[in-house]
Amino acid sequence: MPQVKIIAKNFMDMVASLPAIKLDILYHNQFICEAILRSMPPLAKKYVLQMLYIDVPMTFKSLQEWVLADGSSKHQVAIDRLIQLRVLEVIDRKKETTYKLKPTFQTNLRKHLIYGGILSREPMPSNVVARLPTLEELDAYAHEQWECFLLQLISSGQAERSSSFSSSMMRIFQRGLLRQRDKEAPRLTESGFQFLLMDTNAQLWYIIREYISNSEEQGVDQADLIAFLLELSFHTTGEAYNLNTLADDQEAMIKDLADLGLVKLQQGRRERWFIPTKLATNLSVSLTDSSSRKQGFVVVETNFRMYAYSSSKLHCEILRLFSRVEYQLPNLIVGAITKESLYNAFENGITAEQIRLWETDLNRVEMTPAHFYDEFSSRDIFESASDFARVHGGLLWEDAKKMQMAVKAEIHMLMREHLRGNK
Amino acid sequence: MASAPSKLYADDVSLVVVLLDTNPFFWSSSSLSFLQFLSHVLSFLNSILTLNQLNQVVVIATGYNSCDYIFDSSLDLKRSLENGRMPVMCSSLLQKLEEFSFKDEQLSKEEPEGRIKCSLLSGSLSMALCYIQRVFRSGALHPHPRILCLQGSPDGPEQYVAIMNAIFSAQRSVVPIDSCYMGAQNSAFLQQASYITGGVHHKPQNLDGLFQYLMTIFAADLHSRSFLHLPKPVGVDFRASCFCHKNTIDMGYICSVCLSIFCKHHKKCSTCGSVFGQAQSEAASASDKKRKTPET
Repeated sequence: MPQVKIIAKNFMDMVASLPAIKLDILYHNQFICEAILRSMPPLAKKYVLQMLYIDVPMTFKSLQEWVLADGSSKHQVAIDRLIQLRVLEVIDRKKETTYKLKPTFQTNLRKHLIYGGILSREPMPSNVVARLPTLEELDAYAHEQWECFLLQLISSGQAERSSSFSSSMMRIFQRGLLRQRDKEAPRLTESGFQFLLMDTNAQLWYIIREYISNSEEQGVDQADLIAFLLELSFHTTGEAYNLNTLADDQEAMIKDLADLGLVKLQQGRRERWFIPTKLATNLSVSLTDSSSRKQGFVVVETNFRMYAYSSSKLHCEILRLFSRVEYQLPNLIVGAITKESLYNAFENGITAEQIRLWETDLNRVEMTPAHFYDEFSSRDIFESASDFARVHGGLLWEDAKKMQMAVKAEIHMLMREHLRGNK
Repeated sequence: MASAPSKLYADDVSLVVVLLDTNPFFWSSSSLSFLQFLSHVLSFLNSILTLNQLNQVVVIATGYNSCDYIFDSSLDLKRSLENGRMPVMCSSLLQKLEEFSFKDEQLSKEEPEGRIKCSLLSGSLSMALCYIQRVFRSGALHPHPRILCLQGSPDGPEQYVAIMNAIFSAQRSVVPIDSCYMGAQNSAFLQQASYITGGVHHKPQNLDGLFQYLMTIFAADLHSRSFLHLPKPVGVDFRASCFCHKNTIDMGYICSVCLSIFCKHHKKCSTCGSVFGQAQSEAASASDKKRKTPET
């Protein structure tokens, strides 16, 4: 499976790449410490908890004693991650390097674990806000907004309504996911296809990462936006929060977040508020790589017929990329994976483990550069040449009667030397 | 004795069922006060919930006469799971604990002198296992459960059979039982429980640092445990207890039908009712116990 660059640089990499001073400011916020802790690999989380109340620096060797032999690679990954996020500070002493938790992070995480944290933003009292949507309505809204955005992302003509994102913003999102040749409609690239197969949270983080990188160019502070997003994930789903508690650039971001389905904007007679949806509050669930706990609803039979229990236009489009969709029922998409549909997919650069069988179909003919030897003066010379070629693993074909053979181009020079020597 | 089969855990989402020993007879004579103990435990519970958004914690109080649930993170913290979690958890748990302790004390009747002041561990273990079974049946996506016993009371011999049954049941369902023993002696029950189910047993040397022990050893999720150095079982006392008197014995009689253990020869098995034949008059073993003549 080719490694997809899209997933490699995830949101936490972006956080880790912030300058040290900015990261230090972020770590003053208890909730951000918790979000960062949750994003680490399990072993790293364990180490942080273990070192939380250890004030003296620890040597590399003593850290290694915590782990068994077959955990050493995971141990290294964990330590690297901690250093990358600047949670672990490296102190170089003359004899050996020692490690210590970053004091800001340590103090704030301790406070968080012992006393717990309370957000500075309070939900609005229920007598001020109008009827709030139920959790189900909110879920449906979030889902619809996100799907609409994705549809617009992959095929601009399909979306029913356009979002408030400018076309230049959409182009930035589409960079790397779509490829446009002249006079053709934009087509999905391999990375784009992989993007569609990622789970919602990973997709969301990808989009947000692009959004934040772009905002930096507009003059908005990256660290502020990151802090706001991480804090947003700790709000309560379904509660209303007043817009006047937001700073200016946060308020600008909120409108974009509403388009993605992370919040729902509402207004009353005098107040305006935002309601976080599950998409927002579940942000920190899959900040790690190993997170997908979703259940599937696509059934593929051994005769390559496919049934997808979905009424989503987006899913239909995705399935159309590599299968032939036959019927679309109110809650079911029926299709078949055929050779033709797959050739179509391969032309777009999509590969997959299960359909590799048919990929080899395309590779029926294998080409090897070779040289053809003919008109040997005697049988002895022919036979010695053929043995020579065989010994060097370059003999592709020979015909003893006609005294002809085909030899790999790689050893052509050697063959020439050999034949010259024989004469 | 083989320990539990190991299971492959894909992620670190955990359900920790904590069995909290509230036996007043133990706590009145412990160097660590119950209040200090609770502060260590509450911070530990908060840490578990902090590690992963999907983690769950359930607390069952092991009293002197009874057991009861005093906290369930999936119920109590529905709305404010993230914001202000610690204050909500503390107030909810402490209130339920107070109600439980009061009820438990009411159940005390006149006790014969000399009864070992143990807590009802078999009761809370059974409750924990029932809860975990319900989680297993709730669907494919559930957190990986384990049980943590925070125990200080001594072992109660009359609970031997029930506790061993619970341990084997946990072994069968692949639920590790961790145990942190805070009493003066050793707890053979807890050592066996952790050994058989593949959990970790530890007796902290310094109870003032209980939080650090909990963080270092017992907060480790099941996925990471295969890579970490954790306390190994040393000198586990595997001796069985007889079913008739609950005494620990090295050699005894076993019913060949239900494997119940007896220290003396009986006419029939008290568990399954099978009638035993006459005792062998020549014994090949080195037993020189005087055999009673079978009653007719």
